[in-house]
Order: sequence, then structure tokens, then C-alpha cells
Amino acid sequence: MYCIKCGVKLANTEKKCPLCNTAVVHPEFTEFDDPIFPENKLPKSSPNSKFICGAVIMLFLIPVAVCFFADMLKDGKIDWFGYVLGAILVGYIVFALPLWFKKPNPVIFAPCDFAAAALYLLYINFATGSNWYIGYAFELTVALGVITCTAITLLYYLRRGRLFVVGGTAMAVGGFLLLTEMLTARKFCVGFSGWSIYPLTVLFLLGGLLIYLGISRRAREIIERKFFI
Amino acid sequence: MKKPTRWVRLDNAAKIYPAASGKTWSNVFRQSATLTESVDTEVLRSALSVIVKRFPSIAARLRKGVFWYYLEAVENPPKIKEEYSYPLVYMSKEEMRKCAFRVIVYQNRIAVEFFHSLTDGTGALVFLKNLIAEYLEQKYGVAIPMEKGILDRNANPCEAELEDCFLKNAGSVPVSRRDTNAWHMRGEEQKRGFLNLTCFKISATGALDLAHKYNATLTVFMSAVMMKALINLQNQKEPNKKRQKRIKLLIPVNLRTLFGGDTLRNFAMYTVPEIDPRLGEYTIEEICDIVKHKMGTEITKKHMGSVIATNVNDEKNPILRIVPLPIKNIVMKAVFNSVGEKKSCLTLSNIGKVTVPDIMSKYIKRFDFILGVQANAPYNCGMLSFGDTLYINFIRNIKDPELERHFFEVLYELGVEVEVESNLNGR
Repeated sequence: MYCIKCGVKLANTEKKCPLCNTAVVHPEFTEFDDPIFPENKLPKSSPNSKFICGAVIMLFLIPVAVCFFADMLKDGKIDWFGYVLGAILVGYIVFALPLWFKKPNPVIFAPCDFAAAALYLLYINFATGSNWYIGYAFELTVALGVITCTAITLLYYLRRGRLFVVGGTAMAVGGFLLLTEMLTARKFCVGFSGWSIYPLTVLFLLGGLLIYLGISRRAREIIERKFFI
Repeated sequence: MKKPTRWVRLDNAAKIYPAASGKTWSNVFRQSATLTESVDTEVLRSALSVIVKRFPSIAARLRKGVFWYYLEAVENPPKIKEEYSYPLVYMSKEEMRKCAFRVIVYQNRIAVEFFHSLTDGTGALVFLKNLIAEYLEQKYGVAIPMEKGILDRNANPCEAELEDCFLKNAGSVPVSRRDTNAWHMRGEEQKRGFLNLTCFKISATGALDLAHKYNATLTVFMSAVMMKALINLQNQKEPNKKRQKRIKLLIPVNLRTLFGGDTLRNFAMYTVPEIDPRLGEYTIEEICDIVKHKMGTEITKKHMGSVIATNVNDEKNPILRIVPLPIKNIVMKAVFNSVGEKKSCLTLSNIGKVTVPDIMSKYIKRFDFILGVQANAPYNCGMLSFGDTLYINFIRNIKDPELERHFFEVLYELGVEVEVESNLNGR
């Protein structure tokens, strides 16, 4: 029996060509031999990973329960339990949620982590009756989230140009520190001391160096020759 | 008094595999024999209970020490498992802790899947042959002579079989591990860890005659065919020659043929012939020469001794030895991920011609050797010949059989008649 498309000789077990997926067509041939592997028999997904995920949930639930009762026992009201619950939820989303997936994609999980952190900060802002979320915490969380998620996405999907990504990220982190100082000065009416200029300068120089190394093959070779381990 | 359970340290090559295993990938390979009649599982279970005592370093489980993993012989044979729609189903650490090999029966076929820390292809073949011999003796009452890899199955294992030959044969001067990266194939991954198997069946004498025309051995010739297929595939994927990457094939080398020894544990190293496709087109003849010369210069006692010395020196480093196992695992996994599989496109492992005593051969239709896929690359390939047939098994975890198509086209252009079969029906 030969495949009518690619011409390869097929064993009598084959209902489709293994090379081009073309169905076997032969008017006089209807009896196939038994397949070399059983059809449609797949292993069950590993219970082991689910067991680990369940155990991790229990690990997170224990401090939740302990804190809830400790808070309630004091005066029968919930005072500070909300902060603990929020922190534990953020911790769970960051560290434990990816365990549920076989190949967790950081491009999806990183924005989720920042969204969770932003919501937690919003809760603290309202629960404490403060006014620092809009105009400070929200902007900083979004800025850091955008920098981190962009870097992760580019590093995850790009096969080349990692030096450019790392260099650019270093520069962006420098900019983030400057933004932090500016927003702190504006929101809390403290003077602009300019401390962020120092890390900004260092990170810009470092980023620039990495980008230069990305551009210049010769510079890369010199660095590799001098610093190989 | 109960006899203490036998245990052995992992050999030098085996140490990396437990650390490199992850949540979805473990380094497992399969050898199988297809008999002329359906397998009687009761008899096989009885045969297996004899064999596990005879091969304590292979019929073993993987245990954790404070500083290193070790192998502990299993006292009772594992349950015989049923075949799924694909071979080499992921072996978890939990499973390895109970038993690091599986015996699987499907119709006429007896397959054994080994975690690579237990043994290499040669040791696994001895295990499988002896299991089949014991099965045939118990089932049909035939007396099988102790030749062609069949051992006295009632004797105690000798020390030479359990020896770590790497330590004994390490050279005095280590070699550098620095090497260039290779082109890596990519494709749409199969869901739920399904592995596609495509087996090419070729006349062994026909292929050997053709190899001789190119002044090559069968391994050299088939490596050249594989490299040509990889070149053609890369040409299709990346037509711009200047942006193409090196084509490199990892070919395992059985060190027993160089250094001697009867060990049944890992005792293989590898050679990696390479081609730079940016330099122009290559004919099969040219590739055969490249592979042949690479193998000629590297498969020598002196060179292999130096390569072994490099690996053994790491193992002997007193600082590394006292690092606790969890930290060692993190470091070894990081090294494996960043270096391990980037140096070759895929592995082409040839077990060679499988021979069994004449009285056994009339009960056996074929043997197969299937490698698991690499951790981060979609293909691997194992081959052997039995009787007059060469069985080349491609395994892949991506959907499209691109490499197999190019491999077939190269063989077709060389005038080699091929028959293919697969587990496509099981998908």
C-alpha cells in the first residue's frame, strides 16, 4: 500500500499516511492490521500535581483560619483580618496559582500578579481611610507592572536581542525610581532631594552599555574573551 | 535474618538525569521485542521475578540521599502495565521512587521503559534479551544457550556488571566543554504530552550496501541522511542562508567497545558531528566524510578518556560533594537547561545489529528502540537492526512530521525503499 500523495509505502496498520496525514485510499483494501499502539487510550492526568496544589491551598488556609479566629476572639469584630487575607491572596496568586498549570506562561501570570497587588493596595487605602492610592500607589504599580510585563513578554517570545531588552529594562527601572521620588514629593509634600538621580544615572549607564554590547559584535567578543568562566 | 537491600551510587553519566527531570519531562527510553504469539502476562510476571533479582542495578528505584541520589534494588517485580496510545508516558519522580522502569505488554509485544539513570541502551538490551529468554524458557520449555547477551539468570550478578566504568577509565587531562550551539526545531506542541512515533523500516542489507558505496558504516550513513534532512528542513524554514544555524547531531558511543568491560550501567559518551549550512550546499558524500572524520578523531580511547575526566573531575570536586542534594539539583538543572541540549539538533542513537541465540529468533519478529524526546527540543531518533530490517524510530512531541518527510525524501532520492508505520491511529 502506498500513500497517494507522498508516495511512501505504508504498513498495513496505517489508516492515514504518517508523513502527510492523507487517508489511505484503495478500493480493494479494507482490512487493516491491528494498530501498533492502542487507539484512544491516554494516561490520566497526574493526580500527584493536583495533590500538591491541594496541599498548598491547605497551607494558605491555615494562617487564614488562625488570623480570622484571633481577630474575632478579641472583640467579636473583624479589625485587621482583611489585611492578612488580602496579603495571603496576593501571595497565593503570585506563588501558588502557577502550580495548577503544567507550563505556566509568565506573560499571563505577571499582569495578574500586578493586578492583584493593585487591588490589595486599593483595599488598604479604603480600609484605612487614606488618600494615597490615586496619584501615587496606582501610578507606581501600573508603571512597575508595565515595565516588568514588557520585559517578561519580550524575553519570553524574542529569540534575539536579549541584551537590548535587559538594557532597556534597566533604563526604565531608573525612570521608575525618578517617578517614585517625584510622586512622593508631590503627594506627601516633601522636598525633592534628588536621591533617585544616582540610581537613574547608574542604571542608564548600565543599560547603555548592554545596548552597546547588543549592537557591537566586537565588543561582545572582547567581553566574552576577558570574562569567560 | 533479612538480607539488606542492595544499593549503588549513580554512575557519572546518570547523575544529571534526576536533576534535569521536570514536571512534564523525564529522560526515559524504551526497548521492546515483538513476539510471534500473544504475550502470556502470567508467565511474563514469573519471568520478571527471576530477572529483577539477576539485574539489581537495573531493576531498581531512585532514592534520595542527603548529598546524592542512589539506586536501590527492587525486591518484588513491578506490576506489568498496559500500553497507552503512545510510548514513553511521562515518568514522575514519585513513580521512579517506587520503580524506575516499566514493563508494558501490548498484544505480541513486550516493552521495557527505563529511566536513563539505570542503564544505557546496551545494558537495557541485555536486560530485555534475558527477560525474553526467561519468558520463552518458562512458556515453551526451550533451553536457551548462554550466548549473544544471554546470561545465567540464576547466578548472582557479578561485580563487573555493577561497576561504574567512568571512574576507572577517566584520562588524566580533561578537555574543554566549550562548544557552539545548534539549530533547534520548533513546532506546534501536542496536547496532554502525546508523543508521535513514526517508524521507518528499511532493508538492512540494502542500506548497508549503499553505506559501503559511500565508504561509510551504517551509523555514519544514516547520520548523514539525517543531517541532510535537517539541512533541507532548515532551508525550508529559514531560506536566508546567512541566518541559518549549525546542524549538529548527537551520536552516542558505546564505550564498552573502546575500553572493554561488562558493566550493565551507563557507559556511553557521545560525539557531535556538525555542519555549517551557511558555507553552501552539502552532498551526502561530503556529509559522510565529515561524520566519518569526526568519529575517527573522537572515538578513541585517549579522547574519550579526556572527556570522561572532565565529567569525573566535577563529581570528585570536594566542595561540590558536600553541597546538599536540593541545592545540587537547582544548579545541575540550571546548567542542563542553559547548556545541555543546545549543542545538538537531536540525538541519533544506533544500538546496532541485535542478535539472539538461534533458538530464540524463531519466537521473535522484531526489536524496537525508542528514545524519549529531549526536554526542550521536539525530536529524537533511535535505531537498530534485527534480521534484515533496520528499524528507525522517530519520536516527536509536535504535530507536524516535517523532519520525517524530509528524511523520507532524502532516502527516496538515494533509491532506498522505505515502509512507514506510526501511532497516528491512536490520536
